Amino acid sequence: MKHRSFLLYLPVALLLTPFFLAPMAVIGTESFSGQHGVGAEYVKVVTDQGIRTVLYNTFYVAAMVTILSLLIGYPIAYVLARLKGRWATIGIFLIFLPFWASTVIRSFAWMILLGRKGPVNSILLGIGLIEDPIRFIDNGLGLMIAMTYIMVPFIVVPILNGLRAIDPNLPRAAAVLGANPWRQFLAVTLPLSMPNIAVGCTIVFVTSLGFFVTPSLLGGDLTVVSMLISEQANRLLDWPLASALAIIVLLLTIVIFALLRLSQLASRRRDKARSGVFA
Amino acid sequence: MLQMVSRSATTAESRAAGGAAVSIHNLCKRYNNFEAVVPTSVEIASGDFFAIIGPSGSGKSTLLGMIAGYIDPTAGRIVVDGRDIVPEPIYRRNIGMVFQNYALFPHLSVAQNVAYPLKIRGVAKHEIARRVRESLAMVRLEAFASRMPSELSGGQQQRVALARASIYQPSILLMDEPLGALDKNLRDEMQEEIKRFQQELGATVIYVTHDQQEAAFLADRIAIMRDGAMTQIGSPRSLYEQPKSRFVAEFLGEASIFPVKTASGKLTDQTCRITLEDGTETVIRTGEDGGPGRFACIRPERITIGPKARGLANAYTGVVRESLYTPGSIRYRVELKDAGCLLKVRALPQHNTEVFETGSSVDIGWSVDDMTILAE
Amino acid sequence: MSVSEKKLWTAWSRFLTGLVGAILIGFLVPILVVVAVSFQSKSYLSFPPTDFSLRWYQQFIGNDDYRSAILNSMMIGASAAALATIAGISTALAVVRARAPGSAIVSTLSIAPAVLPQIVLAIGLFPISVWLGLQGTLWAVILAHAVIGLPFPFITVCGALTSYSNRIEIASMTLGANAFQTFRLITFPMIRPAVIAGFIFAFAASLDELVLALFLSSPSTRTLPLLLWEQLNFQVTPEIAAAASVILAVTSLLILAATLLPRLDKDN
Repeated sequence: MKHRSFLLYLPVALLLTPFFLAPMAVIGTESFSGQHGVGAEYVKVVTDQGIRTVLYNTFYVAAMVTILSLLIGYPIAYVLARLKGRWATIGIFLIFLPFWASTVIRSFAWMILLGRKGPVNSILLGIGLIEDPIRFIDNGLGLMIAMTYIMVPFIVVPILNGLRAIDPNLPRAAAVLGANPWRQFLAVTLPLSMPNIAVGCTIVFVTSLGFFVTPSLLGGDLTVVSMLISEQANRLLDWPLASALAIIVLLLTIVIFALLRLSQLASRRRDKARSGVFA
Repeated sequence: MLQMVSRSATTAESRAAGGAAVSIHNLCKRYNNFEAVVPTSVEIASGDFFAIIGPSGSGKSTLLGMIAGYIDPTAGRIVVDGRDIVPEPIYRRNIGMVFQNYALFPHLSVAQNVAYPLKIRGVAKHEIARRVRESLAMVRLEAFASRMPSELSGGQQQRVALARASIYQPSILLMDEPLGALDKNLRDEMQEEIKRFQQELGATVIYVTHDQQEAAFLADRIAIMRDGAMTQIGSPRSLYEQPKSRFVAEFLGEASIFPVKTASGKLTDQTCRITLEDGTETVIRTGEDGGPGRFACIRPERITIGPKARGLANAYTGVVRESLYTPGSIRYRVELKDAGCLLKVRALPQHNTEVFETGSSVDIGWSVDDMTILAE
Repeated sequence: MSVSEKKLWTAWSRFLTGLVGAILIGFLVPILVVVAVSFQSKSYLSFPPTDFSLRWYQQFIGNDDYRSAILNSMMIGASAAALATIAGISTALAVVRARAPGSAIVSTLSIAPAVLPQIVLAIGLFPISVWLGLQGTLWAVILAHAVIGLPFPFITVCGALTSYSNRIEIASMTLGANAFQTFRLITFPMIRPAVIAGFIFAFAASLDELVLALFLSSPSTRTLPLLLWEQLNFQVTPEIAAAASVILAVTSLLILAATLLPRLDKDN
């Protein structure tokens, strides 16, 4: 029985060892094999002004997209969580419908919408809100709009799950104690959905760090790290630098998820300690 | 409880002599430093209904799991029909098992569920159809053959599980709390169904439950488990009337139990006097060593309350501390005068039976045969 | 709470629901815009469209590049999803049912491709693909996409396996079925909806993936997103919108099938 359970790992081992673990090892070694000496690539990443700007841009966009996604996604999840039966199904279906369209197509859609003569500018000009068309695609605004559009489903799902798991008697209890709906939300619903907000934000932030398609099409002059890596590898054939950048992105991803996991463990321990007081 | 009294304890023992269907030798299971089942040996006769009862965590389910084969024993042998089945995988053991939540296959119909073991064994199609019909007839579910398990009530699902576990005539039938998920009325009904089913098949059954009433109703022999060991094995009657320990006495039915302070010595050839911890003296039948460190145990229905108690070998007066009329019996807690001991008493209400109110003084007593001595 | 205050809260709640409804419908607008511009005759994108024509659809149908890209994407998607599903099922069985040692690490690794930026994997896979002689073949992209598809069947099947007790499988084995028979007759039918869902998710992930394809494919193994990407970078014509509309229609049908199939399955 025992040695047989290992056989079940065989397919995944055959898939992940050469095509997931080995690539990680390859970029690890590649990043140290530059002509300028061991570690020179990492020094360059830290010191090169251009690269630092790219990293800053990537973080800035990812952070903005995370905030925007949360601001739009939370109310959606909140309303969906209170819907019942068919309406809830329809709501979830609607939120996932664009999710199924390919990222290239969704980015293309925003290229049309946000173009200089696109419908958004025509409407804004038409109602007299602006006098000159907004250059969405040059200033990074279009990129953030399109990325938020793509990321919202990723934050709605975990928050929706969290909100649905809240015992409906808790807000009721708060109401009985005299809290109005807004205070019920602040005292019960929001704190209880915090762990899921953290999960959703982490997923959105990390995914946004790795975006390639949308920034390439809608970023204008703005370069993000995925584009830089691709450019270094494909066009400039500087694999050591590309690998060093990839390793940094990889480590960042691991660190962010480790932080999330640590905070989850800490809050669980806190809950345990708390329940211990009453036990 | 009446059930237990009426059944002869000797039938099971005489059958046991006929040859063991299952004999377990020094079977044990250790998890790291925790002994879930200490080395245990027991023989179960062919056609016997053997119940294992005990509180949760006592090791009864682990024991059953080792017999079924989904838990590997640390050591020991399980001999079924003359062969040790421990080295064999579950699917070659030819054992039938009924699970707590029935474990019916939700994607298969009733008939397909019951046919499953025959299909696996490569039985011919028409033969399967015939035997499934017979088997479903036995549990009176012929009309439900094409239903899905989710369309059946709990009791019906239970009967499908019975039919499925027995259709291939397994050497033994294991049941793990099969009635645990049913409500009280249905449970009583299913108990009779299981008993009838077992007798018709002549099957050897090992039945795990935490419900002592259920075990007493169904089983020829009961093993009481505690901390991974079978503390006492016997017929329901012998376990109830001659428990060997406080644990058994308290687990099976109600009892008032008091530590014995001294054994004051022999009165006659057949009786002796003992003193309980609170100073109460009482006369019991000789035979048990009623010394310090032991316990005196008396069942609530063995205590006589009211004027009739005056003539008994042990007669006292007491004060009723609690009085409760429940369907079928009147329950009291009586404190003996000049002693601290509180006795649980159960009287059968008959025509004109007086119900004593809380606070009233009563006569109370028992004969020399009513109190038993527990070794631990 | 006074009556008017109560009314105020009800109104606020209705407003919020309405707002979210509007946002959700607004989410469809970008997609509808793509479909709308595909039906015009002009050779540049203009919105709102001023006329109706199927010109770009005709061109799309006649375009061999699209035909071979769609074929490639389908073959890559189906193969990658199949590989991911097989690996996902067996890993989920090992982790949930067999409780094999190291399950925490294997689970993490099996989910990791879903969150790892694809550019990182692409950079590492390229030299390996060259070294193994896979570069430029369909297999390079298939295997890469199998890796990024793996988390989906793994997660769905883990969910299905934890949703019912392993008693069902133990019962099957006490009834005489060995591990393989138990999987074929009991486990697989019970997890089938999750397997189908996982397969479709993995397939969709492959259909959507661009970065790995960018690094690992050759002109003959070009995938659909890659072709769209090249067209977008080269010259934007409504033909792309027509292609996108067709892809949207096909994916919509696929999702519909994915949501309806398990339900039909249950009814039978």
